[in-house]
Amino acid sequence: MDQDIFTREIIKGALATIGQEMFAAQKRASMSPVIYETLDFGIGITDAEGRLITQGMGIPGFVGALDGAVRDVLDKFGAADVHAGDIFMTNDPYGGGGTHLSDVTLLKPVFFDKRLVAWVANKAHWTELGGANPGSFSTTTTDVFQEGLQFPVIKLCDRDTVNTGLTDVLRANVRLPDMTLGDLWSGIAALRVGERRLAALLEKYGCETTLRAADALLDHGEQMVQEAFDRLPKGRFTARDCIDSDGLGNGPFDVAVEIRIDESRFVADFSGTAGAAPGPINCTRPALISAAREVFMGIVGAGISANDGCFRALSVLCPENSVLTATRPAPTSSYFEAMVAAADVMRRALAPAMPGRLTAGQFGSVCSMVLSGNRSSGGDPYILVQPLVGGWGAGADKDGENAQFCVGNGETSNIPVEIQEARYGVRVNEYALHDAGAGAGECRGGLGAVLEYEIRDEGVELSTFFGRGKTPPAGIAGGMPGSVNFAVVISGGAESEPLTMASRVALKHGDRVRLYTATGAGWGSPRQRPAEALADDLRNGYIAPAQAWRDFNYRGP
Amino acid sequence: MNAGGGGRIATDVGGTFTDVFHIENGRATSIKRRSTPGQFEKGVASALAAGGVELTGIDFFAHGSTVVINNLTERKGVTTGLITTRGFRDVLEIARGNTPDIFNAYYRKPPPFVPRYLRREVAERIDHRGQVMVPLNQDELLSTARQLAQDGVGAIAVCFLHAYANPAHERQAHEIIAGALPDIEVIASHQVCRQWREYERTNTTVLSAYVLPAVRAYLNGLQSDLSAAGLKSDMLIMQSNGGLAAVEAAAANPISLVESGPAAGVLGAAAYGRKIGERNLITLDIGGTTAKCSLIRNGEATIAREYHIEKTPATAGYPISTPVVDIVEIGNGGGSIAWLDPAGSLHVGPQSAGAEPGPVAYGRGGRQPTTTDAHLLLGRIEPRKLAGGDGPPDLTAVAGAFSTLAEPLGVDVLDVALGTVRMANANMVNALKLVSVNRGHDPRDFTLIAFGGGAGLHAASLAGELEIGKVVIPPHCSVFSAWAMLALDPRQDRIVTSMRRLNADCLPWIVDTFANMERDIRREFSGNAAMSGEIACLRFLDVRYRGQEHSVEVPFDPAADDMERLLDRFHSVHEREFSFRLESPAEVVNFHLAAISRGPSASAEPQDAAGAGNASIAATGSRPVHFDGHGELQATVFERSALGAGAEIHGPAVIEEPDSVILAPPGASASVDAWGGLHLRLRSA
Repeated sequence: MDQDIFTREIIKGALATIGQEMFAAQKRASMSPVIYETLDFGIGITDAEGRLITQGMGIPGFVGALDGAVRDVLDKFGAADVHAGDIFMTNDPYGGGGTHLSDVTLLKPVFFDKRLVAWVANKAHWTELGGANPGSFSTTTTDVFQEGLQFPVIKLCDRDTVNTGLTDVLRANVRLPDMTLGDLWSGIAALRVGERRLAALLEKYGCETTLRAADALLDHGEQMVQEAFDRLPKGRFTARDCIDSDGLGNGPFDVAVEIRIDESRFVADFSGTAGAAPGPINCTRPALISAAREVFMGIVGAGISANDGCFRALSVLCPENSVLTATRPAPTSSYFEAMVAAADVMRRALAPAMPGRLTAGQFGSVCSMVLSGNRSSGGDPYILVQPLVGGWGAGADKDGENAQFCVGNGETSNIPVEIQEARYGVRVNEYALHDAGAGAGECRGGLGAVLEYEIRDEGVELSTFFGRGKTPPAGIAGGMPGSVNFAVVISGGAESEPLTMASRVALKHGDRVRLYTATGAGWGSPRQRPAEALADDLRNGYIAPAQAWRDFNYRGP
Repeated sequence: MNAGGGGRIATDVGGTFTDVFHIENGRATSIKRRSTPGQFEKGVASALAAGGVELTGIDFFAHGSTVVINNLTERKGVTTGLITTRGFRDVLEIARGNTPDIFNAYYRKPPPFVPRYLRREVAERIDHRGQVMVPLNQDELLSTARQLAQDGVGAIAVCFLHAYANPAHERQAHEIIAGALPDIEVIASHQVCRQWREYERTNTTVLSAYVLPAVRAYLNGLQSDLSAAGLKSDMLIMQSNGGLAAVEAAAANPISLVESGPAAGVLGAAAYGRKIGERNLITLDIGGTTAKCSLIRNGEATIAREYHIEKTPATAGYPISTPVVDIVEIGNGGGSIAWLDPAGSLHVGPQSAGAEPGPVAYGRGGRQPTTTDAHLLLGRIEPRKLAGGDGPPDLTAVAGAFSTLAEPLGVDVLDVALGTVRMANANMVNALKLVSVNRGHDPRDFTLIAFGGGAGLHAASLAGELEIGKVVIPPHCSVFSAWAMLALDPRQDRIVTSMRRLNADCLPWIVDTFANMERDIRREFSGNAAMSGEIACLRFLDVRYRGQEHSVEVPFDPAADDMERLLDRFHSVHEREFSFRLESPAEVVNFHLAAISRGPSASAEPQDAAGAGNASIAATGSRPVHFDGHGELQATVFERSALGAGAEIHGPAVIEEPDSVILAPPGASASVDAWGGLHLRLRSA
């Protein structure tokens, strides 16, 4: 009797559970809000060669980031120099799975009977890695050397012995050493949990059976994706968009895509995209591939967790050294803006052909911000790093979502106001939906948000990383564009010009910072919006009477 | 209470069944009847009538109910208004901004329970240290509340920033609104939650307000129905933290009833464990649609503070910050459906055939094979004794349902049935690991205690998988949550957020904080007949390394602990849960006080096992049964009610009772304890 197919299913389930467990371990042990609230990290298990078997992650942007790092370790060290108890470390933005220096990958080989059978790995945004700017990412760097410490695929642990020289270097070069070392330890905690669980699984079911199940898991991913392919539209789909600025005043930078889908292949060709920017908004090829994978998983909607097998049908083409495929030593610390632009332009190309699965344009930026200073009570330094919620685009049969993190930011969660006030030297005066009077349509775009800080200390600095500061998100099928993202500083009653990519703006006690995120774009003609939906919009203040009349020709109930 | 030696009753109203457990004059009876959704209180009366229970002789009446979760999931609560600090009415709608279905660009955010136009703001501000920055504008508050009343709300929730640190403004607001609008229910965040995180606290308050009128009407209605039927004592209500509360206290904090019945099961398991000398238990409760697991260490259950409704891997759901017995629930029960995905992989659950149409075997139109159907084909359930169906099951139809899976898989029907059970077991093993291994506990150090209708069919296999040596199936296992309510102590939990770095000088601060909490809680207990017993307090601190967000729970004993011992304990708990310890300073985040009234109710003794001590008298025959890993074996069949204390059984065996079946695999031996519980020892032990 063939029970083996069920054993295989059980092992597949156990592998997925191990991924979730590693994810939970890292989240709970971490010291960085970027990890435990923003969930800017991912974990994964690969086979001995680095093919992704299973993952647990908060944001989809790291899908495919870990397998490439394993291959880099194997290329550099060779299997002969990989031992039980080793831990490797890399943050090379241009190498396998690279994004920016802040994202550090830790990798641990798993042995069974002295044979290398798998890898457990994680990649996490560490809050501080030194460099020219607090928080180690900025809008103004012009090469990688200004952006922080580089770990070019190195051994952190050799057969269970931590390289204390390296941890001392870390401690000496970063602004918040306890937090950085805490990030390191939480990453190691996740690897240990993963290694232990995987060893128990191998012990229980035997090496061959377990590895066969892992292979089957990859085949299953491929089959599920292939199955979903039948539902995809076939043909060529093109779109063009732009990144407004690189932080140094250059721009706009064109981002173009042609997507070609046939019965079994999905090709995303970014030819026609602008060359690398002087400022740090570039992403590298590995990040571009991650962006394409994220979009691909979303539109096939296979309902499974991603693994290497899911992507066998996907190809990504792009000329070298573009704003999406920057090469050393181009700056990449704000890489997420180019990555979001790449994902958004793909969705824009496909959305008209995929109503009910894709939407009109979203606020389209991670809208990251950094506030750094020293608390007046106690003098402890703090760095508040967080992305912001904004408006999603309308769908063919639903309004855009209000105040969500950028599409593709996954489980990222906001930092509660009560925790921010207790932990950082700020007061929050308002956290609310913001009606920008845009995004009209039969289905309307979701509202962005406004967040107001009142500064309580001297010597505070603000940086903003807001994309879509000039070019609003585009509507579909007669839907109107959304609005743009911006911030203003109010100091002594005077309001600043709108800020988008602002670096280290000096703030003093009593200054107020208002951060506005955009409304998403609409879908369908505003004149088609039902009167009862408009009455509800007015009653709830989602739109103002003036806009109801101007865009919807509606005067109220 | 029990002073008069009168009868004791517990009633547990679930979505599908209403369970009653009744002890009077040394005789125990259990009753199981279909629930009556919409009018659950009527179901209680009819179940009592069906069992011929006379209420006049009852002096202890405990009640657990699904009324809160039902009102929430079916959106049957009252139109609710929300009043917040100026600038923050949208916190409820912004929520945390996360997208759990991470690749889905078409995600739909769960809509808030209060629409934007019923969310209002007033001027007031208190900071994180509890200091007033802007006084409450009382005129504005009053006019805002009046406007909400004109807009037709039936309840108002009030949640101000940092009210966990100082609830003064919320107290004022509550008083003003209650005074001015006596027909509208009002509830403020500090009454239901004293923890930071404004979204979670606001949502908890809103959901409390939303169900408040319905819960109050339900509890008052039931109490007066019962009084009219002759009940002289006050009813006690089962709460999610495992405690029993008086009707008034339960109605004042209705969200505390959200997991009423399941919590009783876990706490009952702890209580049963104490009686039989098992202080480390993993609990497993298998019903029709779900399996629930929890862990008991040193005789005490773990209380979690984070709970969600409607949260799935695809949607964020709604958080509720109230103490709930820490339960991991998965969509695998007797009615879970076996199915193939497009790539031909077999899955079981979380979709369930429920009670209607139910498994194929029920003959009520179910077409998709379920776990119960698989047990039937494997000979584990005697077809004539299948509970819940209309007449004897059509085994051909059951086999036919499995053949739709067997053909694409290229195996035979029995293989798929076995595969279905193995998949269900694997899902449950993962859930059992979540409460044990994932939290740093080795399941081999625990005994598995299994109850609910489906537990006996899976318990031995699951224990085998986890290398647990012993399984206990308590008496009355299919109405165990009701049984449990008669064995529980009244309990109240308080959690207060208050942060400070841990060093030698802060010991008095810790002791004082707990002393203040204890004084408050004792005041609430006093004057309540149900809580007249000796009060025992358990104290826990949530501690973390400075810089961390997530903390670990560390027990604290003011009589014995100094700072060194407390810190040592913290480091070792941290290492157990997170795999490392640090040199960094530690800080306290929350104080958690659990007050338990070790009252006369605790003396409720389960009835002694009354059957024969010689198992052979209880044997009713034998039949072929399929056991995991052993294939088909001839198993002896026993009637559980005929097994008395001391009876010994050797596997392979099947032990039957009206609503459930227990499997004893080959090599296992089972014995019956003094209360009728079955102790199964597995060969590997």
